[in-house]
Amino acid sequence: MSQQSGKLGIREYVSIAILMVGMKPTGDLPTALYSMVQGAGWMIPLISAGIFFIPLFLLVKTMMLYQNQNLFSIIQKLLGKYIGSIVCLIIFIISSSIISIDTRTYTNIIRTFYFTTTPNVIIYSILMLVCAYGAKKGIQHIGSAAYLVVYYAVLSLTIALILSFQDSNIQGIFPFWGPGKLEILKSASKNLYIFLDFFLFAMLIPYFQSTKDFRKGTWVAYICVCIQISAAVLVFISLFDTSLSGIGYPFHIEIRYISLGSYLPNVEIFFFVIWIMGAFIRFTAFLYINVQMFCHIFKIKDYEYLIPALATLYLLIGSISETPFDVSLIIKPIITNIVGPSFTLISIILWLTAWLKGEFKHANNKEMV
Amino acid sequence: MQTTRKWYKAFWLLAIVCLLTGCWDREELEDKAYVIGLGLDRSQHEGKIIVTMLLANPEVGSMQGGGGSTEKPREIISFNANDFIAAKGTANAIISRKISYDLLKIIVVSEDFAKEKDFIAMISDVLKDKEIRLNSYLAVSKEKAKVYFKKNHPKMETRPHKYFQYMVEHGVDNGLIPDSTLFRFFTAYERGTDLFLAMNTSAEVGKNPNVKGEDEYQAGQVGATGELDDTQFIGAAVFKKGVMIGKLTGQETRIVNILDDTTNIKDVLIDIPDPFSGEKKQFAARIMKTEDNKVKMNLKGLKPEIFITVPVKIEIMSNPSMVDYTKKKNQQILKKQISKHIKKVNDDLFKKSQTQLKGVPFPLALYARKYFGTIPEYKKFNWDKSFLNADIKVNSDIEIVDFGKTTKKH
Amino acid sequence: MKKRLFNTFFNELNKTPPYNERSNESEIQLKEQDISTQYEQNLTTFKSIFSYPQNTDIKVREFTIRSLNRRGFIIFISTMVDSKSIQETIVEKLIENQVPSGNISDIISYPMERTAANIGEITEYICGGVTALFIDGDSQCYIFETTEVRGRGIEKTDNEIIVKGAKESFNERVADNIGLLRKKIKNENLIVESKVISKRSRNDVFLVYEKDLVNNELLQKIKERLDSIDSDKILDLSILEQHLEERPRSLFPTILYTERPDRAASYIEEGHIILLMSNSPSCLIMPATFWSLIHSPEDHYLRTPYGNFIRILRFAALFVAVFTSSLYIAITNYHVGMIPPDLLMAIAGTRERVPFPSIIEILMMEMAFELIREAGLRVPSPIGPTIGIVGALILGQAAVQANIISPIVIIVIALSGLSSFIISDISMNFAIRLARFLFILVAGFLGIYGATAFFMAALFYLVSLKSFGVPYFAPMTPHSISSKDLIVRHVPFKERFRPGYLKPKDLVRQRKG
Repeated sequence: MSQQSGKLGIREYVSIAILMVGMKPTGDLPTALYSMVQGAGWMIPLISAGIFFIPLFLLVKTMMLYQNQNLFSIIQKLLGKYIGSIVCLIIFIISSSIISIDTRTYTNIIRTFYFTTTPNVIIYSILMLVCAYGAKKGIQHIGSAAYLVVYYAVLSLTIALILSFQDSNIQGIFPFWGPGKLEILKSASKNLYIFLDFFLFAMLIPYFQSTKDFRKGTWVAYICVCIQISAAVLVFISLFDTSLSGIGYPFHIEIRYISLGSYLPNVEIFFFVIWIMGAFIRFTAFLYINVQMFCHIFKIKDYEYLIPALATLYLLIGSISETPFDVSLIIKPIITNIVGPSFTLISIILWLTAWLKGEFKHANNKEMV
Repeated sequence: MQTTRKWYKAFWLLAIVCLLTGCWDREELEDKAYVIGLGLDRSQHEGKIIVTMLLANPEVGSMQGGGGSTEKPREIISFNANDFIAAKGTANAIISRKISYDLLKIIVVSEDFAKEKDFIAMISDVLKDKEIRLNSYLAVSKEKAKVYFKKNHPKMETRPHKYFQYMVEHGVDNGLIPDSTLFRFFTAYERGTDLFLAMNTSAEVGKNPNVKGEDEYQAGQVGATGELDDTQFIGAAVFKKGVMIGKLTGQETRIVNILDDTTNIKDVLIDIPDPFSGEKKQFAARIMKTEDNKVKMNLKGLKPEIFITVPVKIEIMSNPSMVDYTKKKNQQILKKQISKHIKKVNDDLFKKSQTQLKGVPFPLALYARKYFGTIPEYKKFNWDKSFLNADIKVNSDIEIVDFGKTTKKH
Repeated sequence: MKKRLFNTFFNELNKTPPYNERSNESEIQLKEQDISTQYEQNLTTFKSIFSYPQNTDIKVREFTIRSLNRRGFIIFISTMVDSKSIQETIVEKLIENQVPSGNISDIISYPMERTAANIGEITEYICGGVTALFIDGDSQCYIFETTEVRGRGIEKTDNEIIVKGAKESFNERVADNIGLLRKKIKNENLIVESKVISKRSRNDVFLVYEKDLVNNELLQKIKERLDSIDSDKILDLSILEQHLEERPRSLFPTILYTERPDRAASYIEEGHIILLMSNSPSCLIMPATFWSLIHSPEDHYLRTPYGNFIRILRFAALFVAVFTSSLYIAITNYHVGMIPPDLLMAIAGTRERVPFPSIIEILMMEMAFELIREAGLRVPSPIGPTIGIVGALILGQAAVQANIISPIVIIVIALSGLSSFIISDISMNFAIRLARFLFILVAGFLGIYGATAFFMAALFYLVSLKSFGVPYFAPMTPHSISSKDLIVRHVPFKERFRPGYLKPKDLVRQRKG
């Protein structure tokens, strides 16, 4: 099919990454960070990024060894067929549960803030329907759509933050070290899951023009994203101060509060539209990656037919829990605590095996010849 | 190919069926009755409150030409309820349309209800409601809220939402009332280290209002006569941890507004004792605050020291003792006098806040935070106690921008 | 089980009626033969082919050629030829020439001469306005291109009106059209290739491109597409357009249709391929991207700031045209808090007496606007302006006074309707007007969430659209080298590259320095 040809450009990749990771502070991330380390919450993304840099660097280095191979085929190659498959399956299950939880969270946000009497299932199924349709179009087109949206998304987030800056007080971030330096380091290591998407992006490598694009794009996006998240959290902390711990989704409270002068007092819909557009892209890309994983594990070639099925599955998993509290307070912390360390471990193990097997030397020799 | 097309058709049929059942949140905007003001009073019945709703009639004042309607611009209902959220349903027994808080501008609480302990529990329902925005204002009325709304008869702004919008906007610009949005109320409550000021209002003029300085009034004390509405917005009610504990006059509110960098007051017209007439007369000045205050603290010793420098720009508006302002000497005297005045009123305010109110009416504690590395250290310092015996020095950094239109003697 | 139910249900609906075809095998066989040397046989063959004398404008003239002393006849269609020159340069010469000569070309002074022997081929020529000369004893027939088609002259553009720049437009005579293009591109590399595309009416298409620019794969792709068309008649370029498109049912066009030769020329210069067809006063430009459909030639004719101003205006109009009505529905029905209190009160006050829900109101007025627009197009021009006045003034004013429509709806509709006129491409214009209705429906169904979800689905669809392999939003995404003439444009001398998505043979338009 001619529709499937074409490769993912670096711009498109960076936009997907920014929309997938950089839009996280619009969910419940700032609250989670604030309840951990109070005023020092804005430091966490930066420090976590610093910690996560090591496994990510090793991962990218390992990936560079094998041109145009995705994460799973490398895992299977390095760890052997059986262990590799089990590891892949674990990754797939983790990221599946994350996508179902996150879509559910977003549905909750839409319902609580904007469509109070609409049934959850309708909002949820429309979300999944659009995502499935987008995922069916393939990653190049998701990338293109992301590129068209990303500027507006970042711009509107920035405007929202600037507008709220009038009412905020930068003093809110003090005392500088929050509950203590050690505590910050501890919670930073707990919050590695913020950047887990970068780990998953390694699934997309075969769709790049070259693996070098992946490396370059990853680092550009990584820097953009950690600045973006940190700045957003900083603004939320200085705006809400101590009341942040009691607010579920500060971004939505904030956009309802800010106004453009007294003649246009309420502008939340403008921000909502762009936020939800970002969310669609985010879950579309996420869904696509998950489908790729599934296809790779079970060796299915025609992924297109799988997308609606997986989307429905995630919808059903996401609808299991009855109340929004179950999701964000009980299930989510468990998963986020597992994700960071396990993904870090996997990337380090991958690098180690590659190193022990002498793949790096091999690659060097090849270059010499 | 043939079968997929059929499934497409089936899908579209389904989608259309969905469309027919849809429209869950859809409501025509004329089906709603918009509450502009909400009054809360303590009821005689145990655990209940009296909710007063001021509803705007959209038909009045919105038609250009075409002969307006003869209906009244507003409707007010008061009734007993458990809270003001469920009251929306109860109100439908009286009001023909669905009650909506979408346009809620102001919540007026009577003084005696604000002083009760369970007030904070009641007002916290605001956070649960999906229509109320946190940029609505919180005001405290001297009389019962239900009486307040009934007595409030604006002469020029017949449409209530416009009246409250203008009244509050300009009051805040002048600094006579604090910028008391619900958002600020809840952040101050959560922070717990500083007092919150809510605007003070009244629709009843006191019997014998005694004439005071330009702004030393509280709501209901300004003696104005003529053909007017008796409602006044001046001064502030002080809340400590969600309970009202006292009141500030218009002047004190102004000073707090100048000290508080989180509100943006535009420019303030005040009277300052005239140094050239032995402080018998007063001259008018416009105070403009364009820069943030500089706050320095020394929190190490037994007695914490706090230094606040207020940078203000001043425009002299009148010249009651006919002095020649062009002379450098006179300018110096003027400057000194202003700085003395500012220092005096600020000292008075801090004295009141340390002894009477036992708390600072603006988020001064935020500035203290940066002198501590970690939260445990800050908690140990205990701002609430330390503030009471702190030594607070207020200085002003004055720049006289203009000496009025004429520079000559007259 | 269910599937079968559906199948039988839909099969009932789509039955094709049976029909019997009459065989024309004998005619086809005849056309494959060559002409004979027998004079009489040729005469009867062609008389029967052209149903002479039932067919009134077929003229057959028999005569004796004196110089050769042989019999001959000419056959032509009188409505498609220049009769005067046939009389003067062919018939008169043949009859009057006395000098014995064996060569026809020495006798006849008419310039273009060719010979043919196949009956089918000759028939084709005659249908195209050619005069055929048959001479007794010759196994060849002489062909003279005496075609003279009647048509309009070159006139001003009607549909793509601009203030600054060339005003001439294509007309129905393809020779004129090619001439207009040649006039603008005086380069030997400009190729005009012709191709017959339909079987019965044998319409021909001219591919115009620059040999040293165009990408061969692209050219091949378009030629293949043209060859693959299986149709007995394609009378107009706009029908050809539908045959060529990858997704003929799609709401959005993927081929640019223009009547402006200057526009066509500028696309040829970038490496695009142009299709021309006789009888069509326009051309097709392929491939077309979203940007080329939105742009207008005037963007480049105006000075840079002015050009960018109207371009930004056009993008704003695009959004206004698509989204105002649906935004009105979404906000008034779902997100009332968004409206400033004064406006909300005003809307609520006027809507109080309107009996319909606002979505019906909007749909009614949108329909009314489309009616006015369509009626304005179709009415004979002397009463055209009246329709506009009746439509806009009387209908709007009366509807408001009768409390059927609230005044704000009139403003919303007028704004979105007016904005839709700014998109000058006809297909894009329709796409936008239709998309507007879809957005109104989804916004009525689920407010701003529904509209955004639909918009995202539409965006996914649009980015996946391709025009002859070129993505719809190229070169913005996927990125390729171009002169960045997308939302705003540079000054002309900075636009140094031809669009990279076409993969032209020569990418750089002008070197630096």
